[in-house]
Amino acid sequence: MLNTPFLLALLSFAVSAQAVPPQAEPKLEESAPEVERIWSARNVEHLYNRAGFGARPAEVEYALRQRPAAFVKQLLEGFAPTSDPLFIDIPAMPERREFEEREEFEKAQNRFRAEERRVLTSFAGWWFDQMVEAKHPLQERMVLFWHGYFTSSTRDVKRTAAMVAQNELFRRHALGNFSELAHAIVRDPAMLEYLDNNENRKDRPNENLARELMELFTLGEGNYTEFDIKEGARALTGWRTTDDKTGSYFQPRNHDTGAKTILGKTARFDADGFVDLLLAQPACPRWVARKLITHFEGVEPDEARLAEYASFLVEKRWELKPFFTKLFLDPRFYRDSVRAERISSPVEYLVGATRRLGITVPPQILWLGAGQLGQRLFDPPSVKGWEGGEAWITTSTLLGRGNMAGMLIGVVKLEDVLREDPLEVEPEGEMMGGDMMGGDSMPDSGAKDAKKAGKRKADLGAEMGGLQRMTNEMYFPRINLTARMQRAKIAGDRQIVDTLADELLPVPLSETSRAALLAFLRTERSALSLEDGRLLAAGVKSEDVLRRLAHLILSLPEAQLG
Amino acid sequence: MQRSQLDRRTLLAAAGLAGVTVFSARAHGFVKLSPVLGAQAAGRTLVLLQLSGGNDGLDTVVPFGDDAYRRARPTLGLKKNEVLALDDYRGFHGALKQLRKHYDAGRVALVEGVGYPEPIRSHFRSYDVWHTADIRGRDAGDGWVGRLCDAAFKEEQNPNLVVHIGGNVPYALHSTSHPPASFVNPRAYRWAGGAAETEAYEQAGGMQPERDEKKPKKRAGESSLDFLRRVLADGQSSSEQVRRAVAAYRTPIEYPTNDALSQSLADVAALVNGGIGSRVISVEMGGFDTHTDERNRHDQLMRTLDAALGPFLDDLGRSEAGRDTLVLMFSEFGRRVAENGARGTDHGVAGPMFAFGHGLKGGLYGQHPSLEKLDDGDLVHSTDFRSVYATAIQRCFGVKPEKVLGAKYPLLAFA
Repeated sequence: MLNTPFLLALLSFAVSAQAVPPQAEPKLEESAPEVERIWSARNVEHLYNRAGFGARPAEVEYALRQRPAAFVKQLLEGFAPTSDPLFIDIPAMPERREFEEREEFEKAQNRFRAEERRVLTSFAGWWFDQMVEAKHPLQERMVLFWHGYFTSSTRDVKRTAAMVAQNELFRRHALGNFSELAHAIVRDPAMLEYLDNNENRKDRPNENLARELMELFTLGEGNYTEFDIKEGARALTGWRTTDDKTGSYFQPRNHDTGAKTILGKTARFDADGFVDLLLAQPACPRWVARKLITHFEGVEPDEARLAEYASFLVEKRWELKPFFTKLFLDPRFYRDSVRAERISSPVEYLVGATRRLGITVPPQILWLGAGQLGQRLFDPPSVKGWEGGEAWITTSTLLGRGNMAGMLIGVVKLEDVLREDPLEVEPEGEMMGGDMMGGDSMPDSGAKDAKKAGKRKADLGAEMGGLQRMTNEMYFPRINLTARMQRAKIAGDRQIVDTLADELLPVPLSETSRAALLAFLRTERSALSLEDGRLLAAGVKSEDVLRRLAHLILSLPEAQLG
Repeated sequence: MQRSQLDRRTLLAAAGLAGVTVFSARAHGFVKLSPVLGAQAAGRTLVLLQLSGGNDGLDTVVPFGDDAYRRARPTLGLKKNEVLALDDYRGFHGALKQLRKHYDAGRVALVEGVGYPEPIRSHFRSYDVWHTADIRGRDAGDGWVGRLCDAAFKEEQNPNLVVHIGGNVPYALHSTSHPPASFVNPRAYRWAGGAAETEAYEQAGGMQPERDEKKPKKRAGESSLDFLRRVLADGQSSSEQVRRAVAAYRTPIEYPTNDALSQSLADVAALVNGGIGSRVISVEMGGFDTHTDERNRHDQLMRTLDAALGPFLDDLGRSEAGRDTLVLMFSEFGRRVAENGARGTDHGVAGPMFAFGHGLKGGLYGQHPSLEKLDDGDLVHSTDFRSVYATAIQRCFGVKPEKVLGAKYPLLAFA
């Protein structure tokens, strides 16, 4: 949160508003008087949180200098040209006939799988870079959204090239046209593989794709029957992937050309005809609008608003840019319940923290980290995607988010989370206090126990261990919070807490948390025998205190919103 | 300052301990309030051990007395003197010495020929079937343990009710109403910060004086921020309970120190005995996808498994909570009957499933699948895995299994 004075924001507005010549009936895209009146740092950051991955202070200032409509237009077009797409070196799938010995074939398969994983990891890293760089944050946000909407998982697809191609499809259509995307998805190789359309043949239809197309992609439950699914499946017959899953094609001999009766209409539907029929159902724009609004606002729209946005989608022929222009210039998007209620996903949380801290993190660390916290990209848990909202938060993932942030800041090492468990050094579970928590001076018996425990189980498991090794080898937090405070001419506890919380939190700091942070600084200052206002004078020790404060801030309940 | 910190820690410790008391008091109350469940439902723990990759059942329970076995496994097959014979037909893999000892003591129920109709040979999809107890897999909704919790622990909201020790939480535990606590290492299940940070962290969570014991889900009207504060407070007490249970646990039983499964099972024993209300605990052992070099690899897997399960079952025998614990061991599928050309075996279907425990009736259940009447080279299952689930559900939780599994499956007599 940036605490730019409100007045200043309003003032700069008044000036720019005067500079624009008056127009008769300005269009929505050009003028949004209601949002102009509430165009504050708080609301600008809210927009960055939702339409992107959080804002750095300079970005908030930048947005405040624009008129809302102009800024939203930039959001839709991107702030800077996006990075060139990554060239993906597609490993060829080994075939049995290429090898005389079965053993050689198995080895080639293992090499192939390892190469597939490596390519997926590089691509995921590239994707995280796009999110952190945020040259076109809304586009990246939508790529992530579509990944959870038109789900496919590498666990089932088992072909990196197909997963990458699907991601590129989402990128091409991120802010395009829903109808075009829906037509494209029923011939997307990853989707065809994931939902078994290779097995959907004239003589033996497979209903999987037809079912999810209606239930999750276009209409929602209750708007079709089991009979519609059977008939819809027939319309989708014939679309299949190439054997190596890198492409798809239509195979006429497996297509059922007969008449189908779907949702009360009888015709010789094919895939496109079926999709068009679904798009023409009144339930479809409602389903899509509900999903989009709920994702971006964090709460479900009421009936009137849903109806308004659904008919707007139809009126704009499924174009998404007008939809988002309307949404982001809708004062209801900035109401209190919307601003405060949304829990960020692990990807949003980690990318947001990285951006707000202003650090550079090897993207694979973010990928593995988000996976640990419950959002493994390219591997959503089911065809329904990630459940989202409060389901992101369990005791394990909430503690884990804080630890992950501590790791990014450099004050937590995952192996130390293990080694320095204060409880581990206590004899027989008897509670001790005070300096036991520091872990520096362990009583002998306790130390022995801890050592034994360390030997007993020093590992963090393959994934966490891999993450920690990667962090140890590839990562050094380039961060200087002392300099940041000094540059802002800040010294006292209150200023430090407010400024750092402003910079690192997506929403304002609550009074409860503020009191906790102030108490922490007070404790740390007295340990260093420094007066309030003198904390920054202690050099590396002050930096350490500030980093631990930052860790604390990113572990707060407030940090999980946005 | 130092002084007040000390006081706070002491206070927290007291709160943590009180939390334990509250949970166990609730568990007792639960039994008392539900007389229909009977005494046998009291606080039994179910441990799920997943052998990932498709364990070769024919190399675990070896039909050494079957000619068809020797024909199908010319290089891999074990001879009579390489197995621990249970009778003239079958025997445990030779490395399973401790399991054999427990079998003789009646602590092992071996269910042979377990599978499901229309078997799937993909690891992931077959797991989905096992994890949801539904052929539709994840389309069916939550995992079967999640559904079990909805049926048996509707009001319970102890965050340690369901625990997974390991990296990837199996979908079986997937639940929106009873999400599992999970950690690779219980000692690392905590928010990492120094004393002063921890105090501030807990203060930010509000440490609500009277946390009521309802739902991890957001309550009606509760703001997201309050929800997060509540989970933070829960997380602090839950992680403290888990670590305390593990730190306080003392056992004379020696587990191998160089192996993850052994260490996880030692932690499971600590949680079972820790009185923290954990009722389903899941662990995983990987590496069973033995397409090549199976003789060496599977021998090693069996040695590791035996070295971990042997002491674990000994340990469980030492306490009432331990003796009340039921362990189910399963894999997503068995392997094909015939070995492949790389001295390994490929994905198959049916296989044996094991139940371990001190309170069960050990012995043979189900029936060993015929090695001659195969379906496209694969064993045909005779017992649906959901019969084993149903038996465990009935025994450990006293709820009607069909409420969890959606249909009635014949119960087995081991429990």
